[in-house]
Amino acid sequence: MVRLFSILILLLSGLITNAQEDLFDLLDDGPQPTQFTYATFKGTKLLNGQTNETPGKGVLQYIISHRFGSFTDEYLYNFFGLDNAHIRMQLDYGISDRLNVGIGRSSVLKTSDAFLKYRALRQRTGGNAFPVSLTLYSSMNYRGARFTDGLDHYTSDRVSYHHQAIFARKMTEGISLVVAPSIVHWNLVPGPEDPNDTYHLMLGGRYKLTQRIALTGEYAFSSNRRYGSGATEEQFHNPLSIGVDIETGGHVFQFHLSNTRALSDPLWMARNPYSAANGSLFLGFNISRVFTVKQ
Amino acid sequence: MKRIVLIVLLICSTVASAQQYLTREARLSFDAGSPLEDIEAFTESGSAVFDASSGKIGVQVLMTSFQFKRALMQEHFNENYVESEKFPKASFRGVFAEGAVKGALSIHGITQEISVPASLTQEDGNFVLVTSFEILLADYGVKIPGAVANKISNTASIQVHATLKETTK
Repeated sequence: MVRLFSILILLLSGLITNAQEDLFDLLDDGPQPTQFTYATFKGTKLLNGQTNETPGKGVLQYIISHRFGSFTDEYLYNFFGLDNAHIRMQLDYGISDRLNVGIGRSSVLKTSDAFLKYRALRQRTGGNAFPVSLTLYSSMNYRGARFTDGLDHYTSDRVSYHHQAIFARKMTEGISLVVAPSIVHWNLVPGPEDPNDTYHLMLGGRYKLTQRIALTGEYAFSSNRRYGSGATEEQFHNPLSIGVDIETGGHVFQFHLSNTRALSDPLWMARNPYSAANGSLFLGFNISRVFTVKQ
Repeated sequence: MKRIVLIVLLICSTVASAQQYLTREARLSFDAGSPLEDIEAFTESGSAVFDASSGKIGVQVLMTSFQFKRALMQEHFNENYVESEKFPKASFRGVFAEGAVKGALSIHGITQEISVPASLTQEDGNFVLVTSFEILLADYGVKIPGAVANKISNTASIQVHATLKETTK
């Protein structure tokens, strides 16, 4: 009887201690909440291209971009190319945490543009995990520059479009990748043989050096790089850019070196006349500033 | 006689293991702002447990569950300051005794012993934990860059309000 008693006591005390050790484990039990992956990229733009990011709801963003002159073109005389800047200004707004609309104006062919960007899917972990983000992006571009071919043109001749599906994944805390197939549509092309639609695939990524500084790069393949024939033939090149992102609170500074100078989507992506192999490299930057308009 | 003692002990032990209280809807908020910038965040999805027999108490929160007024501030909080990817949770594990909680507070991967005043009152069979205290961000390795040093306080005042219900176990 005494033995049984002591065994029971031991068992019971064991039970009690167990219960207490498990107490803090209760904190980790229960449903795992869904966590959306944040800051896949610091900016809404990678270099020339877009990232999956959009400004938050009620946030107004202003981006000023410059692309300077060539290394090869009287480089020092033109103060490292800085005397020959092409610019683009962009103003955009986050209607919701997913929907972003904006307008822009760039000096190359005096192009005005308007765009719509929507985060369709967001990478997330936890209960309802999903491995990638998908953001849809469309821009409409209007050429303001006068035509010099002496022909009468419709207004629609000035318009081109760019539609893109941006897949992005934050691989680790420091490495994010983007794969973005897209289509560029021109209402007007140089020759009758030339396609109105060209297909593109942009690859890009970033590698974080510190909390606030990252290396970035992007490259885009194109389905057609030769337009016109004979005297009017033009050869275009795939855009390649490498850069550094520096984030300081409300600003993101993006400095880069690339073989492109144009800033509206169809021009830099589908009609880039410069080849890095020929020494056509340009310095450039994007600087963004955000303002919380509505909280 | 011994049999009766056994039965009493058995009953006591079941009572003891049932005296655990739990919530997954603890409200936590903090303020690390300055006159130049409001930096406030809150969450309603913290977890808290309390064992009434031993006085042990634990609170835990996912850093990414903190909601800020500005999306960018929330991103910077997670990405640059508390590094939520590396250190997803903040937790407190200790005991409640004599109007104070005392134990180990872990934030940003760094654990510090703290002892702060708290109230734990019984209401309708639930325990309500209320506490507010200040921590020094530097104690938890949260670095503030010089450029924004005048916008962010070097302390954070933290509020906790949790209603813990008896676990059905």
